[in-house]
Amino acid sequence: MSGILINNNNSLRENLWRHFIVAIPYIWLLLFFLAPFVIVFKISLADPIIAQPPFTPFFSQGENGGFSIYTTFDNFFYLFQDSLYFVTYLNSVKLAFIATVFTLLIGYPIAYGIARSPQPTRNILLLLVVIPFWISFLLRVYSWMGILKTNGLINGFLLWVGLIDQPLELLYTDTAVYIGMVYSYLPYMILPLYANLVKLDVRLLEAASDLGAKRWQGFLDVTLPLSIPGIIAGCLLVFIPAIGEYVIPALLGGADTLMIGRVLFDEFFLNRDWPVASAVAIVLLLLLVLPIVYFQKRQAQDNSGVAA
Amino acid sequence: MTENEKNYIDIKGVSKNFGEVIAVDNVDLAIKKGELFSILGASGSGKTTLLRILAGLEIPSQGNIMIDGVDMTALAPYERPVNIMFQNYALFPHMSVFDNIAYGLKKEGQTKDLIEEKVQRMLSLVKLEGYDGRKPNQLSGGQSQRVALARSLIKEPKVLLLDEPMAALDKKLRQSTQFELMDIHDELGITFIIVTHDQEEAMTLSDRIAIMEEGQFVQIGSPNLIYENPKSKFVANFLGNINLLDASVIEHDQNQIVINCKALGGKLSLYDKNDFDQSEQISVGLRPEKVMIEKEAPNGEGKNYVKGLVEDFGYFGNLSIYRVRTESGDIIQVSKQNRDRVEQSIKWEDEVYLSWENENLMLLGD
Repeated sequence: MSGILINNNNSLRENLWRHFIVAIPYIWLLLFFLAPFVIVFKISLADPIIAQPPFTPFFSQGENGGFSIYTTFDNFFYLFQDSLYFVTYLNSVKLAFIATVFTLLIGYPIAYGIARSPQPTRNILLLLVVIPFWISFLLRVYSWMGILKTNGLINGFLLWVGLIDQPLELLYTDTAVYIGMVYSYLPYMILPLYANLVKLDVRLLEAASDLGAKRWQGFLDVTLPLSIPGIIAGCLLVFIPAIGEYVIPALLGGADTLMIGRVLFDEFFLNRDWPVASAVAIVLLLLLVLPIVYFQKRQAQDNSGVAA
Repeated sequence: MTENEKNYIDIKGVSKNFGEVIAVDNVDLAIKKGELFSILGASGSGKTTLLRILAGLEIPSQGNIMIDGVDMTALAPYERPVNIMFQNYALFPHMSVFDNIAYGLKKEGQTKDLIEEKVQRMLSLVKLEGYDGRKPNQLSGGQSQRVALARSLIKEPKVLLLDEPMAALDKKLRQSTQFELMDIHDELGITFIIVTHDQEEAMTLSDRIAIMEEGQFVQIGSPNLIYENPKSKFVANFLGNINLLDASVIEHDQNQIVINCKALGGKLSLYDKNDFDQSEQISVGLRPEKVMIEKEAPNGEGKNYVKGLVEDFGYFGNLSIYRVRTESGDIIQVSKQNRDRVEQSIKWEDEVYLSWENENLMLLGD
């Protein structure tokens, strides 16, 4: 009898321990993601006032001593009324989308090359991909200003070669934003793609070749479809931060480069309209999360379809 | 010369080195049309490299390969009338069974109807009707192997290369699959080249076997010929069980040879065509099933026998295996068919007599 009891105790303790281990990431997410989100959401439901903090409180004491809750959806309606926000969201999606496509087009061959290179070279190449992270992101974007400006490196070189006779206008354009984004987010595309491509069984390509596929056909029939999870992961890792990017459009973009990150910054720090800024952030979040949830669900369905 | 006697596959002076390592070392081989040929060797013997050279997946450092009179040496894998079945099958994980099998025909640009018809025929050949919609991860090991076989056969190659076709199957399944593979071979008449490390598999399947060691063929012949007449100790040991006993040559003239083999009771005189030097140290090979084991001394004039003690005894049902320590201190392994339905009469520590026919002794140099 007692033996069984001890066993039960042990398994109970083990169970608790297991629950605790599993709980750690949840606690982390709760504290550092859900809690700030709830706060931002709460602010988005308030009215701006000139006070410290600059918005109406969520709970307030009523005249007869009871608590009342004050909420308003005005900020969200405001976002839909002023076409500036809609245009900016759309433009952010467009910029992020185009930047993601270019990052993919440049990142895929690089990831493929690294995955196919022999072992010692491979590690060096991976290190080279990661090395820019050791320099501050802001500094790297600043240095692009030096490269792109009217009397910068690119124009200087093109003038010296004689390809152009007056400097190109590169800095403070959408092109500069694309260059900055592709440059900054390239490692986020390369690493998940590399992790996927390096796992590819070379014998599958040999089998394709044996059955009559030329090299490019083997790539299209085998490598590309099997790397789709890597492509999706890389694109999400680039697209999500790109859509809310603030620094790159602020430094490299022109006055007409409308991006939501910039609007958010202006609302927050210039207008001091925290509730509208929060509403902008919440809508942005929904814009990003909904398609991702949809993708995830579809992928899960695909996987379970295979297993069934 | 008739069609069948011509060399269908002709490998001449083929070598392959990876840096310093010589994987295949100046190999010559001729294989006839429709043959079921096995290349048998331990891992690292170069057998898989040779197969990959035939498939075009490796380019030989030297030599050339002809198949049906056409030089294949410089052709890419997709240009050769050769298909390979990989050891772990290498099925495309993202394609259904149908698409896997159809792949070769799709690359040929065949019509949909023809592909459909041929794939269905292949599925029935490998007994997988109705599995066309499954994905490779929904198949058992045996089913995956059949899909791989169907995929490599659908283009009706002149030569089918099989890299360890049974290695991933369990023993029972392996035996039945071996016979199915032989049936398919007979039905299609395609030349098969099988690479394996499993001597049993090589012996049951093949018309001829080539034994490979360190990038070279040490012996080529029918399973029967190699088993009964191995050229060297290595081959004798590799194919089946054998007792290898030390001996020295005493006299040698014409076909008659006199040797001294302590384990077999001293002087023996027998016929042998091998050319050994006087007093050369050799090995006498004696297969366990060719030794008689009895409790009484065999009578009969000039009968050779030695006395010994049973040190170990294994009962396998159909046969029993004894390890007998002879008076000279050597161990001789004996296998005995259990023909009668009686209790085993010879057991541990029994005193036994071992006898043999001299013509069953193989004299092997190093």
